[in-house]
Amino acid sequence: MNRRVKNNLFLAVCWSAAILCTLILSFLLSVIILNGAKTINPDFLLSNSRNFGAEGGIFYQMIGSVLLISGAAFISLPIAIGTALCKSEYVKNPVLQKISNMMIYGLNGIPSVIFGIFGLIFFVNFLNTGISWFVGSIILAIMIIPTIVLSSYQSMSSIPRMYRESAYALGMDKWKVITKVILPQGIQGAITGLFLGLARAVGETAPVMFIATAFSGVKLPGSLFQPVTALPTHILTLAQQATNTQALQNAWGASLVLILVFFIFSLSALFIRITLQPVSQR
Amino acid sequence: MSAYISKVGKGYIIISTLISMIIILLILGVLFLSSYDAIHGGGWRLFTLTWNPPNNQFGILPMLYGSLVVTVISLVIAVPLGIFTAIFTSEILHPKYRIYVKSFLELLAGIPSIIYGLIGVAFFSVWVGELFHLQSGRTIFTAAVLLSIMILPTIITLCDDAIHHVPQKYREVAKGLGLYKHEVIITSVLPIAKTDIIGAVLLALGRALGETMAVMLVIGSIDKIPTPIYNLLAPGQTITSKLGREIAESAFSSIHFSAMVFMGMILLIIVLALTFIAQQFLKSGQRLYE
Amino acid sequence: MKIYYVSVLILLFAIITGCNASKKEAILCAGATTVLPVVSNAAEQFKLTHQDVNIMVNAGGSGVGINLLGEQNIQIGMISRNITQKEIEKYPDVHFVTHPIGKDAVVPVISSEIYDAGIMALTIEQIAKIYKGEIKNWKEVGGPDKEILAVDKEMSRGTRHVFMKIVLGNEEAAAPGADLVLGSNNEEQTAIAQSDAAIGMLSNAWINGDVKGLSIILANGEVVEPTLENIINGKFPITRNLLLITNGEPQGEIKEFIDFIKSPGGQKIVEQAGYVSLYQ
Repeated sequence: MNRRVKNNLFLAVCWSAAILCTLILSFLLSVIILNGAKTINPDFLLSNSRNFGAEGGIFYQMIGSVLLISGAAFISLPIAIGTALCKSEYVKNPVLQKISNMMIYGLNGIPSVIFGIFGLIFFVNFLNTGISWFVGSIILAIMIIPTIVLSSYQSMSSIPRMYRESAYALGMDKWKVITKVILPQGIQGAITGLFLGLARAVGETAPVMFIATAFSGVKLPGSLFQPVTALPTHILTLAQQATNTQALQNAWGASLVLILVFFIFSLSALFIRITLQPVSQR
Repeated sequence: MSAYISKVGKGYIIISTLISMIIILLILGVLFLSSYDAIHGGGWRLFTLTWNPPNNQFGILPMLYGSLVVTVISLVIAVPLGIFTAIFTSEILHPKYRIYVKSFLELLAGIPSIIYGLIGVAFFSVWVGELFHLQSGRTIFTAAVLLSIMILPTIITLCDDAIHHVPQKYREVAKGLGLYKHEVIITSVLPIAKTDIIGAVLLALGRALGETMAVMLVIGSIDKIPTPIYNLLAPGQTITSKLGREIAESAFSSIHFSAMVFMGMILLIIVLALTFIAQQFLKSGQRLYE
Repeated sequence: MKIYYVSVLILLFAIITGCNASKKEAILCAGATTVLPVVSNAAEQFKLTHQDVNIMVNAGGSGVGINLLGEQNIQIGMISRNITQKEIEKYPDVHFVTHPIGKDAVVPVISSEIYDAGIMALTIEQIAKIYKGEIKNWKEVGGPDKEILAVDKEMSRGTRHVFMKIVLGNEEAAAPGADLVLGSNNEEQTAIAQSDAAIGMLSNAWINGDVKGLSIILANGEVVEPTLENIINGKFPITRNLLLITNGEPQGEIKEFIDFIKSPGGQKIVEQAGYVSLYQ
């Protein structure tokens, strides 16, 4: 076989792989969007689900998901920013840096179902919290901490040395430098990471299904220690009855809503990364 | 006053760092303690073929086999497809469009797994059933195909990064020698990108091993190694699908529960090992978002 | 940053006041999918008259219901089988009290294609052989030449306990002939409807056009259809009580709720769900 034929063959393989991937991935998206669009209307979004979710809407599922991820955001953000500050401002020892990196990458790699089991053992049974949305938020927060830490660390460590040195030269102490120089510059990274993390957290099923959600009758939780109902677990219930056309329809509707929420978070992360660039990087 | 605030600030930073460092140890510790009963009481009997809790038989081999086979097949499908597509996006596609393709892929990589599961139940399992004239399309093969699609965007976008980061001068030198495009790619670009590509595949492997919801819905959940052993069109069970289905059914602190957690711990250790090895390969690191 | 701290404070404040303001009592129920429609519909109606009570209902299966009650994570367990001795021993601190709320039959079900091809009744022995893996093709019981897809359920599910006790003689018997293991009634119904040669076990209330209930041929040759009438008069061999369980005698709102389900109004919900009420 001469080289020209080989070259063309190679290019053809690449082209067909790319076309195949595009076809598969656009099939996925179009299935969700086309089927989901048929279901979504104000009534679907604003009414309660009935009859195993086959009738009615997903109002409280949306509220539940929002509660879960806002809880996760409020818990994870301060912890993650603190960790990122520590990594960028305090830890100078390369071995410690390496260990902390291992911990964070390791935490990020843990399969989601393991978080669910951990939550079940540690919170629900050991600390005896019962099935509670707040525990779900804690677990989701743990899941997204690595994303926020790394994203904030990246933007903090990219702050030029000059900024820090000038600040110290002005007689500021370390904490002043952190609050006046590092944080304002690094917050963009933290928010980007937060949104990326939330985009992941909102769709997670396995971590919350044992510990935070109930099936029906859930409206607004009256306290921290009550279950909610959430979009992904709702889709799970509906997917298990996929031959019931009504249930399947509602499952597509709920999926589309979930994907839209996911897209909104991902795109805002992208948007923030572009627009909120700190002075030092403009 | 300022010194006081500074102290509080330092305390906050240290405490939050400790929290995020300790969590992973806490998770490992909790899983180990909870699976101690099974390790102690079961020992090597855990590595047998029969899972039947009422008879106190907790053989996890069928689940290990399922996880292994599903993951390997999904990689066999997704890795070649992903690498060729990555070569396309980074070397053949006009650089102007690369950013759009990449953002699109990164969005796809994050689609919640439960939605893949829904598509799997509604379409894939039905198709597999009809295609191979099976009584039920809930098979190991179905799960593997679904998983391969799920990890495809991750593989493409990581491999694309790897190939794109190969400095331009290598291509120019190779081209200057009069090599065809495929020779440039095969002889000079891919060897340089190799370690990053291996890292990408390992990360995808970890993700595929830990995937729960989509697999659980389409695999059929039979705790048996199919006969004959290479029959992929039979239902099976993975560690994750077993955990997803049965953890709530087993009573807390029973041997049953403990054996389930033991499986989870094995999974966790494998995935953590993969993550660390992958990080060694991905020297450019920092790609966490996929 | 200031905005962040302020909003954290506002959220905390909102949560704390929210917790104190709504003195809503929450009753958590979990367990069998068979009982779930009754309890969740009853909860809707109960809340109309008791607006200060919130009742949450979760699926999972009878085993899950018993475990969660045993671990005192819920107040009411929903079960569609009896509690086993093992389960009682597992939770020595918990005093399980059962409250029957209706009656149901577990029916062997098959895909409509097989039903239409002429298989409308089987003996218990034939069904047992299918689940043991001794009968693998529908033609061995007089049907079309198609392999049987035997659909099993997760071990602790109430429907499986009741079914296997009659069919294989032991409620926790393994079924080596099973080809699929699924969970809830909904999931099993879906798999059987998707297949054209499946057999499974379902609560009477889940039978529909795609999933047909088999009649059972008794030892004396009599064919018993899974009708409400045969369930009421006890002819159909695989029947069970639908139960709620509590830890000790129920008090206050929990008692009111259980009493409501047992009342004529509540029993109407039981009938609407396709079960036999206590009064029949």
